[in-house]
Amino acid sequence: MKAFGYVLAEDLEHAIALLGEHGARAKILAGGTDLLVELKHAVHNPEIIVDVSRLRELKDIAIVDDGLHIGALVTHAEIMNSPIIRTMFPALVEAAHSIGAVQTRNLGTLGGNLVTCVPSMDSGPALIALDASVTVANAEGQRRMPLADLFVGPRKTSLKPADLLIDIVIPKENLGKPAAFEKFGLRKGQALALVNVGASFWIDREKSVFVAPRIALGAVAPTVIRAPKAEAFLDGCKISAEAMAEAGRISAMEAKPISDFRASADYRRDLVAVLVKRALTNAQALATVKEKELVA
Amino acid sequence: MTDVTMIVNGQVRGASVPPETTLLQLLRENFNLTGAKLGCDVGDCGACTVIVDGHAVNSCLMLAGQADGRQILTIEGLASRDRLHPIQKAFENNGALQCGFCGPGVLLSAKALLDENLNPSTQEIRDALSGNLCRCTGYTKMIEAVQDAGRLLREESRTQITHARTEVTAP
Repeated sequence: MKAFGYVLAEDLEHAIALLGEHGARAKILAGGTDLLVELKHAVHNPEIIVDVSRLRELKDIAIVDDGLHIGALVTHAEIMNSPIIRTMFPALVEAAHSIGAVQTRNLGTLGGNLVTCVPSMDSGPALIALDASVTVANAEGQRRMPLADLFVGPRKTSLKPADLLIDIVIPKENLGKPAAFEKFGLRKGQALALVNVGASFWIDREKSVFVAPRIALGAVAPTVIRAPKAEAFLDGCKISAEAMAEAGRISAMEAKPISDFRASADYRRDLVAVLVKRALTNAQALATVKEKELVA
Repeated sequence: MTDVTMIVNGQVRGASVPPETTLLQLLRENFNLTGAKLGCDVGDCGACTVIVDGHAVNSCLMLAGQADGRQILTIEGLASRDRLHPIQKAFENNGALQCGFCGPGVLLSAKALLDENLNPSTQEIRDALSGNLCRCTGYTKMIEAVQDAGRLLREESRTQITHARTEVTAP
């Protein structure tokens, strides 16, 4: 690697001060699984690396007043092992498990996966399907915005140079909302998604209809996108396998995939239809399991 | 320069290195521990796998500074002077390695798995080894070796418990 300066942030306040001081000259080091690869291939390295990887404040997973907070520095392995997340959101466990391999999941962080912002990121779809928002801090203070507003394009976020991602928040009203994550790659291990999908919905048991359905698609547009037409079709619709399949077909029309060396656009569109149907089916299965647990 | 101090294979080691030094470079070039290998250098192949604070990681994707103050286990720390580690023994008995380039990484991935779970399923072993590429043997014998190692380690822990009980109950 070419030379760069390095400074270790001692705590959150220090990190924000460092980023304010160095601005665009700095790059943030969290898990390093993307950044180090980038630095090894870069023609010009940043002047300084601000290492935030030891900030205790960003490593918690906790339910507080407004919802479930996942610290930006929580690793994919920690998500997989978190009792709260395993019980409440198996979809996030699935998504974390589908990233890289053990060694990269032990280093890579949720915040890092989101801000690297590749279109095929596996952390995005399930979180978007759960209406997650993010907390961002800089010298002026903290602000909250929808996760969807963080994503601008391939490897491009709306964060300013002095901004630091603090945590990811799933709102209180969605705690326990049945959700599922589906991914299709060319292999099971260490493969980028050709398509990945997150889906969630509540069930009105009396009428047996979908309530507040969310469908998020990854790797088929410049960033993770929602499928609003498919969602509108499902909203208030009777729950059935046919409705789920139709939502898949509508989603496929909403996707804007490209053809590349991994797969053609047509193949990706077909995958969207299949994966959306599977995700909806699995979310319903999860809802049934949860209901049985409640009864028992 | 970045000053680092860490415990490597039970010994305190320190160095002063440029900040862009990876943990892998530190181990190989400063500490002369060449068991961890430089393969792809981007975190795909797993040849550089070491165990940091109990977790298997790619040492090519960690800066030396990030390992400051931590406990590192490399393949050199697995065997004791008088005997191979049960995982090494099991790999030897099963002929699970040919050229051996991936070996240090595979063995440490297996170690990290067995430290958490002495009786992993085939699927759990496959998952634990999916970040280690081997181009010689295929993985079947490795999976069998990890299962054997689990068996050996379970027997060892049973023996230790029996010994401990005898000592406690001895007059």
